[in-house]
Amino acid sequence: MKELRRYMRLYRVFIAQFFKKLVQSKADFLIGLIGFFLTQASGIAFLFLVFQQIPVLKGWTLDQLIFIYGFAQIPRGIDHLLTDNIWLVAYRLVVNGQFDRYMLRPMNVFLQIIFESLQPDALGELTVGTILVIMSLSKGIVIVDGVHILFFIISIIAGAVIYTAVKLLFASLAFWMKRSGPVLQTAYELANFAKYPTEIYAKGIRFIITYIIPFAFVVYLPASYFLKSTVSPMSTIGVECVIAVVFLGIAYGVFTWGIRCYESAGN
Amino acid sequence: MKKKLRVYLPFMENEFKRNLAYKGSFYLFMLCWLFTPFINYYLWMAIYGSSDGSMLGGLTKDEMVVYVFMSYVTTQMVFVSISDYIADHVTEGSVVMNLIKPINYRMSLISQALGTMLYRFFAPTIFVWVGVEIYKAKVLGMGITPLPNILCYIVSVIMSFLIFVLFDFCFGMVAFVTTYMYGMQLIKEALIGFLSGELIPISFFPVVMQRVFDFMPFSSMVYAPVMIYLGKYTGSALMFAMARQLVWVVFLYVLGSVLWNRVTRRLVVLGG
Repeated sequence: MKELRRYMRLYRVFIAQFFKKLVQSKADFLIGLIGFFLTQASGIAFLFLVFQQIPVLKGWTLDQLIFIYGFAQIPRGIDHLLTDNIWLVAYRLVVNGQFDRYMLRPMNVFLQIIFESLQPDALGELTVGTILVIMSLSKGIVIVDGVHILFFIISIIAGAVIYTAVKLLFASLAFWMKRSGPVLQTAYELANFAKYPTEIYAKGIRFIITYIIPFAFVVYLPASYFLKSTVSPMSTIGVECVIAVVFLGIAYGVFTWGIRCYESAGN
Repeated sequence: MKKKLRVYLPFMENEFKRNLAYKGSFYLFMLCWLFTPFINYYLWMAIYGSSDGSMLGGLTKDEMVVYVFMSYVTTQMVFVSISDYIADHVTEGSVVMNLIKPINYRMSLISQALGTMLYRFFAPTIFVWVGVEIYKAKVLGMGITPLPNILCYIVSVIMSFLIFVLFDFCFGMVAFVTTYMYGMQLIKEALIGFLSGELIPISFFPVVMQRVFDFMPFSSMVYAPVMIYLGKYTGSALMFAMARQLVWVVFLYVLGSVLWNRVTRRLVVLGG
């Protein structure tokens, strides 16, 4: 308990530092926000243009796909906002030896990395996601009741955890490879497959995004629970939570193992 | 001319070699970029499967397969970013070195980009291209693309490359104003991806918007060469599409010169 309070206080200190940095570069903040916003908006515009030509896509309407798309942005955005520093581990910190500084401080290494920065660019993703989900709510295609709202929150958290776990796992490979950025990028980009219903893909791809790097459980399967009353929460969001816990466990295990193997660069 | 080649060829060679040095990460990025055409492929299959008509946006299902993968081939060769280099040079201050050397900064950047373009052509693109042709002939039964189309496509891609690189040079001037190029790049990529025909053929847009796009250089970057490859432009339409590309090359070249002169006149670098 005392430990927890200490970390809460540390997080406040770290974040306060971060905000000082942020107000120094307001223009950068705005540029990043617009960048991520436009990236997501063009995805939606794509769907709009396609649905000018067809009424439904494999049984999914435009409104439903927009909900899936928007819902996908929220866990992704939360993870992006909170744990963006993991990318630096993969690309820079290990290979040039800067990781040393985390090892020397009397604080959990993983939490230091997470605490060190927030990524305000993520607000672009979160804004798009929230707008799209609210739009979908107003259209009445989403099931809204107490249970669903509860599961919505759980699903978003579990989804963000899965993103974090995937990032941590592949970034940890840097302790052996020195620079694991490209591997991480490849794994992370697989998430793009899950923006659309998985039944459009061939079996092999479906298998990979469902069972190996389980992004289907972050996006499409939970989203279907909110859209279709026949889908049971346990087989979608229940599984999502189990995956989140297991994946984070594995990723953290590999990470701590990697730290033990870490040898600093330099002279 | 010969002297010029001697000066700028090493830039190209070096860039080619530098790419070779980071093969591992390069191939992974390639794999990563291949995700997009495959996602698009499956998505379009589903879209055509859900459609009553056989044509969407003026393309049949088979043509769309070719479009998806050829636009990948095209973007691989055309989208070689040089603004990252400009941004690095500006933030490090090493841009002054390029001002005092007796070489044209823009030419050296374009030569570097050409090196990357050639590397990408040999490393994965040619295989995807051949794959497309084999698939097209064997599975789709559309036959091999006729030679005139291929030749026009190659000329068109070279112009696309110049349009993109010259545009990117103008865009790179932003680095003199802001330090956050990552965000600016995101904005650029989102706009180009959407307006160039990479994400969706321009023919899917409402007619009014298509007319607006005629006044932008983006559709000349991807959409024009791929449509030429598909044989959608013939006769005067073909000439017009290629002439328009040429006009953009000239326009962006002049614009780049003007911007560069203005920017460097007020450049202040400390130390260096």
